[in-house]
Amino acid sequence: MKADNTTQTPQEAELARLLVDTLNLEAVASEIDPEMPLYGEGLGLDSIDMLEISLVVSQQFGVKLRADDRDNVRIFSSLRSLNAYIQSHREL
Amino acid sequence: MTQKLLVQEWAARRERGSLPLIKLGVWVALRLHRRVARLFLYPICIFFLASSPAAARGSRAYLARVLGRKPRLADIFSHFLTFASCVLDRVFLLNEQLDQFDIRVHGEEIVRAIEQRGGGCILLGAHFGSFEVARAVGRNHADLPISLLMYEENAKKIRAALAAINPRLATEVIGLGRMDSLISVAERLRQGHFIGVLADRNINGKDMVSYPFLGAPAKFPQGPFRVAMLLQCPVVMMVGVYRGGRTYDVFFETLAEAPESRPKDSDAWLDGIMRQYAARLEHHCREAPFNWFNFYDFWA
Repeated sequence: MKADNTTQTPQEAELARLLVDTLNLEAVASEIDPEMPLYGEGLGLDSIDMLEISLVVSQQFGVKLRADDRDNVRIFSSLRSLNAYIQSHREL
Repeated sequence: MTQKLLVQEWAARRERGSLPLIKLGVWVALRLHRRVARLFLYPICIFFLASSPAAARGSRAYLARVLGRKPRLADIFSHFLTFASCVLDRVFLLNEQLDQFDIRVHGEEIVRAIEQRGGGCILLGAHFGSFEVARAVGRNHADLPISLLMYEENAKKIRAALAAINPRLATEVIGLGRMDSLISVAERLRQGHFIGVLADRNINGKDMVSYPFLGAPAKFPQGPFRVAMLLQCPVVMMVGVYRGGRTYDVFFETLAEAPESRPKDSDAWLDGIMRQYAARLEHHCREAPFNWFNFYDFWA
């Protein structure tokens, strides 16, 4: 299935629900624009939220997000890119 | 000289970060004996007393609470002088001149136990007394890797100032300005680092919670405590109290052991540890009132 820009794929929808539950966000998971920035402007997450995301992603998917990864800005840039990173690194 | 350092410290709004002047101040201070350099603190404090009415007001309001009486001008001067002394001593401490001081350490076994266990801890300090003296103790006694976590804007200035004071001393300062700042903290903790945070001021601009403090509610940031909870590491309070002359008392106190798992009721865990932090800070304020270095209305 090819998603258009603002439609969540099933995997993205699952990740959105995980983030909303973990961070107690007021946003409705299914309404999060997968292209919207997670950090700062956009979803309005701060560095503590980013820490929580890294912990829950490691726990749920076995994917380690590392501080020295130069791609972090890209990885965390949106729900879509975070999901893409997880999917390409997760332990099967 | 030291005056410029004082200006640097005094209030964020005044900070202009003039590194050449800091370097000059440090150069002068290190060439004078500490006792001679201290003589400069008196005119400097008189100058600030006269020229910083806002800081004097903040001092007066705090002292009235902690002393339980109307503060005299001499009290406010002592308050300023204690602050100035700690700033000056930082120059000597950062240059590893610990023999200039009589430092008494209380609770060092807490630090040793954590060091042996590995996995680091969060060291919670405050704008109270000298964080630097406590850090110097850590470096000197145990060669502990200590990183400081702070606002990005301050982190830049502090990094530059510390490098100016002693370029040989690699000080790890983690700024909060990056989205992965705290992921970096988590990694360092796993490597056994001690992460120092001053937990009496806001670190991320939100999540302030009120606790009783010296007789009235004051707001404390939840951020540092949430980080400790998420990372499940021990939380140790670290306070370096200046006693006058060349004497400091450094206190390490356990606020929480490392939780085995994420606390089920995270709000209750946070409430408990923040209440305890505020209470211990109050204790130290009552015991050494002039060491409080928040020169603004903390209860606003």
